[in-house]
Amino acid sequence: MPPQQSEKARKTDFVDRIWGFFTSLKLVIVLLLILAVLSIAGTIIQQNKPLHEYYRFYKPETVALFNKLGLFDMYHSWWFVTCLALLALNLLACTMDRYAPIIRGLRKRDLILDEKLEKSLHLKDKMKYALPLETVEKSFLAAVGKVFTGKPLITQQDDGSRHFFFEKGKYSRLAFFFTHLSVLLIFIGALIGSFFGYKGYVNIFEGEAISQVETRAGGRENFDFTVRCNSFRADFYSSGAPKDYQSDLSVLQDGKEVLRKTIRVNDPLTYQGITFYQSSYGTLPDRVQLEVRGQDGALRGVVDAPFNQKIAVPGSNELVEVADYQDHFHLPDGSEGGTAVGINIYPEQGAPAGLWLPISHPDYDKMRQAPHYFLVKDIKLKKYTGLQVNKDPGEVTVWVGSLLLIGGIMAAFFISHKKLWVCLRKDKKGRVELTVGGTTNKNRTAFSREMTDIIQSLREVS
Amino acid sequence: MINSLLFGISIFVYFAAMVLYVSYLAFRSETLGKVATSCLLAGVLVEAAAMGARWYESYQLGIGRAPLTNLYESLVFFAWTIAVTYLILERKFRIKTVGAFVAPFPFLIMAYASLNPNDIQPLVPALQSNWLIAHVVTCFVGYAAFAVSFGVSALYLFKVRAEQKTGRQPGAFLGYVPASDTLDEVSYKTIAIGFPLLTIGIVTGAFWANVAWGTYWSWDPKETWSLIVWLIYAAYLHARITRGWRGTKAAILSITGFTATIFCYLGVNLILSGLHSYGGQ
Repeated sequence: MPPQQSEKARKTDFVDRIWGFFTSLKLVIVLLLILAVLSIAGTIIQQNKPLHEYYRFYKPETVALFNKLGLFDMYHSWWFVTCLALLALNLLACTMDRYAPIIRGLRKRDLILDEKLEKSLHLKDKMKYALPLETVEKSFLAAVGKVFTGKPLITQQDDGSRHFFFEKGKYSRLAFFFTHLSVLLIFIGALIGSFFGYKGYVNIFEGEAISQVETRAGGRENFDFTVRCNSFRADFYSSGAPKDYQSDLSVLQDGKEVLRKTIRVNDPLTYQGITFYQSSYGTLPDRVQLEVRGQDGALRGVVDAPFNQKIAVPGSNELVEVADYQDHFHLPDGSEGGTAVGINIYPEQGAPAGLWLPISHPDYDKMRQAPHYFLVKDIKLKKYTGLQVNKDPGEVTVWVGSLLLIGGIMAAFFISHKKLWVCLRKDKKGRVELTVGGTTNKNRTAFSREMTDIIQSLREVS
Repeated sequence: MINSLLFGISIFVYFAAMVLYVSYLAFRSETLGKVATSCLLAGVLVEAAAMGARWYESYQLGIGRAPLTNLYESLVFFAWTIAVTYLILERKFRIKTVGAFVAPFPFLIMAYASLNPNDIQPLVPALQSNWLIAHVVTCFVGYAAFAVSFGVSALYLFKVRAEQKTGRQPGAFLGYVPASDTLDEVSYKTIAIGFPLLTIGIVTGAFWANVAWGTYWSWDPKETWSLIVWLIYAAYLHARITRGWRGTKAAILSITGFTATIFCYLGVNLILSGLHSYGGQ
């Protein structure tokens, strides 16, 4: 053999082996089970927590190891994604591999019930009638028509025999494509979503509007419109359990309202492919009046602080900022302290300090033993609604894939391709001889019961 | 309330059905068999009435919701779907002796359910959705099919050992059980019913999650475990249909699949945390 040819042969051999690997059933089963086993890890180790939280559960060296292996975000780790990619390749290769045989199975039609075909069938029978051919034909068509509702293909042979070919559920052979390509479609939809979509979260105060959102990936997305929260409402059952959360939202374009909808937990608002979901709610201070007093109790001044703004403290070089709020503050001894305002103090030099001011304990900050202390004199609260924001152009693809998957699985299990042949001919004595035979590609027990019924009703033709 | 009373009665009826099915296997009297089936059917009817009463009573309390929303309600529904699935299969495949291996499930699950709080609570906002019924029913009928398949597969393993030992003439007790080939076939047919239902359950769950939370898949433990169950049965079906895996290997995969199902249903709620954690309250 010339060297070139052997080289080529080796190449084909190599390609064949790769192809064989990707189309092997062993690979499918092993991959499915590996994915199942790997997935367990991510349900035991909590995913996507801030790194410092893991130190509470694991030793530092374990945290370092898990982090390196990607176990804290394992469903996006290179090894898990590789397994999914292998599964996708495997699905694609198997679909290509099975394409020709399935299409052949769809096309192949032996229209004539000859001896060879008759021999290959397991379910068959023969009977004779002393009736005119037309009567037999009419009666048997009626009997068979109860199961095979479609029109038969009729062939007239030169020897005078008439052959009838019935089939049913032919296209169930395509179920293979639906079940396998639909999974690929779902993968594609998920990829589209992760490349061209985003998820984010935003708080909107009542009466205020936003036109951008902070995404989970850490970026910012701007809208071509603004969303205003007209009002928010939370309803509770008498037991105290939540009953309903409602945000009355308006979509504004160039200052004009183009859409208004009250969203609830299972009823989001979608505009220009971006969907807003009711996710949380809360109260934050709009403005807080703080009194500044010396340790002797003498009033040094009053600060009127809007939320999240640094304001100069009278009689000192400090800045103060109202940064947080809570309904149920716990005092150091663990008892209920009521509502409290969280402030940050920025000294001229050094690190800022955060502290809480419970409204019903005006002397609370005195304990800090600073030259002066703060107390809340007045507070104006504002409600906000917390919205999950989602843009996912791949969603439709995922749902189409899911529907095809369900339909494909149903067809694969519950519809079979059944074929039935009937041949009518006259024997030497002028009687009509009827030969019937059938076959199916799955669910043979049920089909043999159907065939028994058909044969029984053919015997009763008179 | 009437629903609690009816649920209480159904526990006793299921207990009686279990005892009858086991006695049927032991004494092999056809009359006993008929009584066992009627008894299980009676349990199903009483429990259906109980669930109906609970639904109705929730309206009287001014809450008005399907009884499918907490651990107690899901357990009693699970017990019911197992009994119904089994009765259908018993009729279809004439496998009454299998009853001794399946009938204990409804009783044990109902007994376990009765340990959980059963007052009718109103729904939190996330559960107020039309997807609730479709999602829960498809998932649980799927689970029930897997439970029956598990019982049949376990029986298969006993039967096949008996067949091998005594050379096709097994001992008195297992001699009455259907042939191992039949058990193998029934186990497969049951999974073939459960798998599409689980698929629909996962898809409706994903769709609902997308409507409620804006994400159809977030790898939360419940979602992930349902996928694990799906993957195991998908492997089973590929092995069985195309590689011709039958018998012991298939039975072991079926048993593994149901173990994962139980963990997906109870383990996740009781041990792990996630979006479905309210189920464990």
